[in-house]
Amino acid sequence: MRNPMQTSMTLILAKHGLPSAIVEALHLQAKQAPPPSPWMGEGGDGGEKFDDPTPTSVLPRQRGRNVCCGLLLLVLVVLFLGACGQRAPAPTAEVVVVSRPAIPADPGDAAWQDVPVHASPLLLQDMVEPRLLTASTGGVHVRAITDGTRVAFRIDWKDGTKDDLPGAARFSDAVAVQLPTTAGADAPAPQMGEKGRPVEVTFWRAAWQATVDGRPDSIAELYPGASVDHYPFDAASLEKGSKVQQEMAARYAPALALGNRMAGPRERPVEDLVAEGPGTLTTAKATDSNGRGRRTETGWSVVISRKLPQGLEPGKRSQVAFAVWEGSHQEAGARKMRTGWIPIVVEAKK
Amino acid sequence: MARVFNWQIGREMSYWYPESRPKKQFAAIFDINKCIACQTCTLACKTTWTSGKGQEYMLWNNVESKPYGFYPLAWDLKLLKELGPQGWERGAYQGRTIFEAAAAGERVLGWRPTDLDYANPNVGEDDCAGVIENGANLTVPHAVWFFYLARICNHCTYPACLASCPRGSIYKRPEDGIVLVDQGRCRGYQECVKACPYKKVFYNPMTGTSEKCIACYPKMEANLQPQCFVNCIGKIRMAGWISRPEKAQADNPIDYLVHVKKVALPLFPQFGLEPNVYYIPPVHVPVPFLHQMFGPGVDHAIQTYRAASADPDLAGLLGLFGCTEQVVPRWRRQGDAVIGMDESGREILRVPMREPIYILPAFDARYGVVRTNCP
Repeated sequence: MRNPMQTSMTLILAKHGLPSAIVEALHLQAKQAPPPSPWMGEGGDGGEKFDDPTPTSVLPRQRGRNVCCGLLLLVLVVLFLGACGQRAPAPTAEVVVVSRPAIPADPGDAAWQDVPVHASPLLLQDMVEPRLLTASTGGVHVRAITDGTRVAFRIDWKDGTKDDLPGAARFSDAVAVQLPTTAGADAPAPQMGEKGRPVEVTFWRAAWQATVDGRPDSIAELYPGASVDHYPFDAASLEKGSKVQQEMAARYAPALALGNRMAGPRERPVEDLVAEGPGTLTTAKATDSNGRGRRTETGWSVVISRKLPQGLEPGKRSQVAFAVWEGSHQEAGARKMRTGWIPIVVEAKK
Repeated sequence: MARVFNWQIGREMSYWYPESRPKKQFAAIFDINKCIACQTCTLACKTTWTSGKGQEYMLWNNVESKPYGFYPLAWDLKLLKELGPQGWERGAYQGRTIFEAAAAGERVLGWRPTDLDYANPNVGEDDCAGVIENGANLTVPHAVWFFYLARICNHCTYPACLASCPRGSIYKRPEDGIVLVDQGRCRGYQECVKACPYKKVFYNPMTGTSEKCIACYPKMEANLQPQCFVNCIGKIRMAGWISRPEKAQADNPIDYLVHVKKVALPLFPQFGLEPNVYYIPPVHVPVPFLHQMFGPGVDHAIQTYRAASADPDLAGLLGLFGCTEQVVPRWRRQGDAVIGMDESGREILRVPMREPIYILPAFDARYGVVRTNCP
């Protein structure tokens, strides 16, 4: 059960930008879910509130600290607060891309701690069939860092179920970042762009992350009891990895043979795509972006990094949009929770 | 939604795209009365096309026992239940198709099978529709019944898979009407799996795309019948091309059986897809069950089929089934022979109406042995 006293303490501490280890220690004492966010958004269905799932929960967990230790820390914290009076960045009305010497690759990187957070509720994709008519994910919290040439977004959202296995009627949790190909205030339609006015999408999928993290792509991973008599391309007469063997394997995987990125091989958990309107999403010539997603106590924390789009330089503004797919809700493709365009500004280089 | 004409339900209906019929339409006839459920067709398909990783559970061709066999589980019953009772009147369907019954936000009324639904491909095999009472003996008609239903993709005129794909990854080839999933474009949303009422699109978890029966198009392009047709032990199948009813040609075997004799019927025409695999219904099954499955043409089809022995053209044409690997687009009967021809009228094969009977003497003098047909 949640202890209201401890909740409010950790909340105050988080707001004041305390060292994360201190906040974490207090969190763990309370042995409770992270506290509700001070910045609450409206859920996609117009009523649901969503909490900030992010505070420090992606950091390594340290259990076993005792109450005394926590109290000691609290005293130190109060002293610290009094000494510096520092406050965490307030939630922003737009996505502020802060400038740093390097962009972090991991959502648990300490570099994210003092980056301003933009909280955005998610809307139903109820414009184009097939529509999503029942809301799932309430909102996302977005942080962004640039090194002057690339930009990394950290997107956090609440998700009670981890869905990263492929299969019949199984869908993967996923998130995407969308930016107009040409930066500017006059963005194309937020629903995947318009003909002649493309958008660039970088898509992260939990199932791909699992593959990149080492889960083999085999039926035995999905069904441990499965047994397969024989695959023709695994015949003993064929030298494994030989040209002949690989050609034969490709014949039984037409999507792979055609170079469909859905079929792998998977080196990154993300894919770059372009679109000029609903239904036109197409794989980009190459995937330059990268990503890393981690399961948190309450959901997902995902970093998607890509090059700054054309015209979106330090000091310039553009638009950005996000979408989240909830696997357990059978969401894929057009069935998603999404934002409209959100203003994005790149901080001038320090 | 556009308005299109579906001759199988005798009326216009709503469809996601405007009517656009191919130059030729792939079609097939399955004579259910001849199927013995040996599954040779299933294996022919499996070994040819779906031996890859992620395709383990796929059966682009399957044979199930009706009424209790399904692959996937209850594929037809679930949709019939969702659609609810609907009716026909004088050959025209009065109810709603799955396009017309789609809920708000959906393109098609459908449901998506889970892995458990695919877990029992031989469920209900050889189960009778009813209990065999103690003391029951064989009478005609049979006291209880079942029949085998061989199924492939119907390469529908109005495919639900194609209508449901939000990114246009499924297409119907204008040259032959074969429906294909573009494996280069599919992103595995499984909308088609949900939409296809026959559940003949399958998601491949290893390639992340959905796959389906391709009517062995490389063979059809070479005027050869698909693998499941030519490997059929019971010779129940014929592949070819179907015309619209008003353009039916009696010398086209498919047209003759579907449009002229009306002995072969579409599977669940009420769903509204204008499927292009046509079934000669089983003659020993209660007609109400068949009405639900094949529409109002059942009575006429059974009557015609039962009378085939007195109809040399019909009986002769049925004899062409399974006699050649080649597609036979034209045919004619000449006395006691049935001739299959190509488009130009060139003879492909000639089959006698009755196989000649040879009576051999019990003792073979040449080899000095007694012939016997007893083990």
